[in-house]
Amino acid sequence: MTAYLLRRLPSLALVLAAASVLIFAVIRLVPGDPATALAGANATPEAVEAIRAELGLDRPWVTQYFAWLGGLLTFDPGRSYLIGGTIGSLITESLGNTLLLASSSLFLAVLTALVLGPLWAGTRKPWLEHLLTGINTLAVAVPTFVMGVALILLLGVLVPVLPSGGVPRDGLLANPSITVQYLLLPAVCLALPIGAVLTRYVAESLRTEMAQPYVVTALAAGVSRRRVLLRHALRNVLPTSLTVLGLQTGALLGGAVLVEFTFSWPGLGLLIERAITGRDYPVVQVLLILSVVVFAVLQLLTDVAHALLDPRVRLGGAR
Amino acid sequence: MTELKAQEAQVKAEPDRRPVRRNGLTHGRGLVGVVLIGVIVLLGVLAPLLAPFSPQEQIEGANLLGPSGTHPFGTDEVNRDVFSRVLYGIRIDLFICLIAVPAGALLGGLIGLVASQTGIADVFAQRAFDVVLAFPPIILGIGIAAITGTGVLPVVCVVIGAELPLFGRLVRTATLKVRELPYVDAAESMGASRAWVLRKHIVPNILDSVIVQLALSASGAVFILSAMNFLGIGVKPPEPSLGGVLADAMAQLGSNTMYAVGPLLVIVVLVLGFQLIAQGLLAARRGGAS
Amino acid sequence: MSTALSRRTLLSGAAGGAVLLGLTGCASAVDQETSGTPKKGGTFAGAIGTDLVPANFYTNSNDGVTTIIGLVYESLILYPNDSLKPQARLAESWTISDDGLTVTLKLRQGVKFHTGRAFTSEDVKFSLESYADPKWNGQLKSTAAAIAAVDTADPNTAVLTLKHPLGNILDLLEIVPIVDKETFAGIGDGSRYVGTGPFKFEKWTPNARLQFTKNAEYRVPDRPYLDAVDIAVIPDATAQANQIRSGQIDYAYGISNLDIERLEKAGDITKIQRTGAEIQVYVAANLTVDGLEDVRVRQAIAYALDRDRILSEVFRGAGYTASLPWPKTSPAYDEELNNFYKKDVAKAKSLLADYGKKVPTLKYSYQTPSPLFQATAQIVQANLKEIGIDVELDPLDPPTFVAQLIGGKFPGLWTAYHSWAQYTPSTLTVSAYPFNALKNSSHYESDTYIKDADAAWKQIKGDSPEAIESYRKLSKDLLDGAFLLEIAIIEGRWAVTDRVKGISYTKRSELLLTDAQLTG
Repeated sequence: MTAYLLRRLPSLALVLAAASVLIFAVIRLVPGDPATALAGANATPEAVEAIRAELGLDRPWVTQYFAWLGGLLTFDPGRSYLIGGTIGSLITESLGNTLLLASSSLFLAVLTALVLGPLWAGTRKPWLEHLLTGINTLAVAVPTFVMGVALILLLGVLVPVLPSGGVPRDGLLANPSITVQYLLLPAVCLALPIGAVLTRYVAESLRTEMAQPYVVTALAAGVSRRRVLLRHALRNVLPTSLTVLGLQTGALLGGAVLVEFTFSWPGLGLLIERAITGRDYPVVQVLLILSVVVFAVLQLLTDVAHALLDPRVRLGGAR
Repeated sequence: MTELKAQEAQVKAEPDRRPVRRNGLTHGRGLVGVVLIGVIVLLGVLAPLLAPFSPQEQIEGANLLGPSGTHPFGTDEVNRDVFSRVLYGIRIDLFICLIAVPAGALLGGLIGLVASQTGIADVFAQRAFDVVLAFPPIILGIGIAAITGTGVLPVVCVVIGAELPLFGRLVRTATLKVRELPYVDAAESMGASRAWVLRKHIVPNILDSVIVQLALSASGAVFILSAMNFLGIGVKPPEPSLGGVLADAMAQLGSNTMYAVGPLLVIVVLVLGFQLIAQGLLAARRGGAS
Repeated sequence: MSTALSRRTLLSGAAGGAVLLGLTGCASAVDQETSGTPKKGGTFAGAIGTDLVPANFYTNSNDGVTTIIGLVYESLILYPNDSLKPQARLAESWTISDDGLTVTLKLRQGVKFHTGRAFTSEDVKFSLESYADPKWNGQLKSTAAAIAAVDTADPNTAVLTLKHPLGNILDLLEIVPIVDKETFAGIGDGSRYVGTGPFKFEKWTPNARLQFTKNAEYRVPDRPYLDAVDIAVIPDATAQANQIRSGQIDYAYGISNLDIERLEKAGDITKIQRTGAEIQVYVAANLTVDGLEDVRVRQAIAYALDRDRILSEVFRGAGYTASLPWPKTSPAYDEELNNFYKKDVAKAKSLLADYGKKVPTLKYSYQTPSPLFQATAQIVQANLKEIGIDVELDPLDPPTFVAQLIGGKFPGLWTAYHSWAQYTPSTLTVSAYPFNALKNSSHYESDTYIKDADAAWKQIKGDSPEAIESYRKLSKDLLDGAFLLEIAIIEGRWAVTDRVKGISYTKRSELLLTDAQLTG
């Protein structure tokens, strides 16, 4: 196994090295640079040159590249040019906000699926079934940001009961009851499509499960339908539902970006947008290389799992 | 998820499944989808007849008016009729879909086909698809727009980029499957040309899944392009786009609440309509196969 | 949320909503109310739209910087908002020699930095020198660079020797904050700000907030009243409006004029319109672009602009229309000249007829994301269509925009704000880059303009009759050249609740809370 890993490592390093060069070069192709972003609309050319020198942007690209690489390898990616603070603290903070939003949405989605899934599968009222089907189809289809605007319009403007964006001014940890109110709209938006997919899956699996012989037996023995559904069928459906949830988590992170924009939620999505529009090279570079690393490591893990199961791969046979 | 559904739809070659396809669109969900999309397309096509004003006409004194008989959705911050802008916004959105989705399908399909023929190309294409899929399309869009500048071009690029891997994988998997079928294998070993196999077996076989995927992709494309316009990195003002009108409305919700409603409804109907069509086709397919 | 604010309980519709949401008994994030009487102490809670960028310390270009400078720092002199008559601040008195080459400043004694160190003439020297360093991009660095030497022999007197007379030297002394040499490095990374002002800098949390506490040893007795200042960074204008309406903040810098109108009507807030701290919105042309090289075309554009409409619809009347940069508070203001360009489609068309050729489709750039520039650009586009000039809008993100501005590379027209006309007029022409006579983004070259700008700069007294005559010449040059067409002079607005009293500002829109008090 170790031998297999060792064989894979060089190619991993190669991929990362190529990615780092690519990221470094591509971001410098974007017109404007951190110095122009910093200088602002009242700047003079001399000032921009001075700032460029101050940031070290007048050094050759090769020098800049290796300086950056050195910083990465020593786990000291440096400071943001524009946003301020160290890159480490910036990313930790934004990641925390994104994770809070994402986990709240997951919680809401799971809750919805656990309540509405059995209801949908168990109901015998056609109107309720149609209603749930309709809502479900709609929830899957409505884009997150469109739902966001709709919610802001309804609950932030027409009947102003919830904040329409931003975070509490004292931070997210100071007062949980306030934080919840700020979190509610973005979390609902993000939860909706995932919750809908999950609910549909749970309901469909429950229906299949309810046709199983053991259910028929139980029902014949006089156990109530509700009891069978909730006590037995649901328990059997949960493990596979978890897999579906896992698959949806990826989609969730993508959706989070748009929700963050719509509600000005200061997470990773807003951070990378601000970094790109401000040409904050160090921040953009680190965020992009991080995503490549995460991706490459996930690939490697998948391949390792594959190798564990298939000796031909491990032994370097047919591949 | 969508990709899985599309692949699920594949069944073995049948001579003609056009009736099934028609069935999917004339009953139940499919029909609803067709009607929804039809209405929106009609609104877009007939915009010059239906719109009471030109979408770019600035009407003197009509600053952020609420809804009225003359302006069903009110007016915007530079005195234009929001209703007319929404109608014309449909045109540009559908136009981008019409260009980008088929382009993505064609390119993706070609790559998938090539990938299915040679091993090295396959590995390369698969990894490339993985990487593209690893970035959320919106982040990709922000990045591309930073390089190319705001406009229709980055939007088209991003939509194509998002569709490419989906069609690529679809075609590749289908092709590999078909070539393993005994009679195709036999035909190949008897010296049938690849083009012949392609024309006679592969294309008919994957056509259905491709059509379903096209409907799903159109739905996704509306999402992506309206999101990019919403973020202000798409169609340039004063040209109206659904996402652009929605973004402008966001700043004026307190003045004209109806401003946002039009683009909101149309985007939802478009995304929903295309999804219903895809679902209808799939349902008909399942019914037809069993 | 500040615990100092009392909370209204479950009576309003808003709190009713909270009940619906299962949040009974919690404070609502959308509705709070207080009532009470004026008091001493308390925390002032506010919001700004753009976060501090440490590298922009001397550029006055974002809300974070102006907030810090207003609260933590003091300059040598201070202009009142409505005139250029200098008042004592850290300097008690000042004299300019007859040849205009020596400025002697008597410094206030007993002033201490927040570190406890006494303020001396050395600090004046250091502050002026660091301001002149191009890397800080200070707007008046050319003026600062024209100071040959600062004599600090007497710690209570600073003597400035100038390379040539500087009509705007007092502007420089009004603008430059006096910084502490020992902690200056902290300014570069946003970790430490030490001045002599009424508040001490406590902490900056990037992307989130700026915190300040009272300077108990402030040179003015019994000031400031407030114990602390807590400024949140809220980039979303709507969110700011919601927070001030609900009483979570008492001060909003970055809220839209439309929201201010609405909230004022509802009785939730009052506005502070910053007269004296004006900025200008303009359309300018790149003279190297085909069609724009001809002054008749540029003048036609100037006559096509519907300034009244842009001012009232886009800027909600926060200011007045203009043909020249000078605000009403400026010695160079001249009502007749300021009304030189009025919308006149017939005149514009006849100028274009004189030009004789068809003006090619022009690109028109502006910065995103900005609803105000976008609306302005679209109105200008419609105005130009009226006179037969086609324009293609070209929204650019800020770094691209600035890169093109500095490189003079705009492909046609552009719209932006400029500032610095609220000071001594020569400050504008030697400082603001779009106006720079020697090198500007329009590629406008005129020997008369260079000569007149230089003459105005070298006036010994910035408000003498000779000086005013020189500004008149400058104004004529600007109107004749028509390379930069003013649309309107904008007085920015802050929203404040009636819970706070005594907020003021400097000519650079820096927040002053020395006399501010909370009620309730």
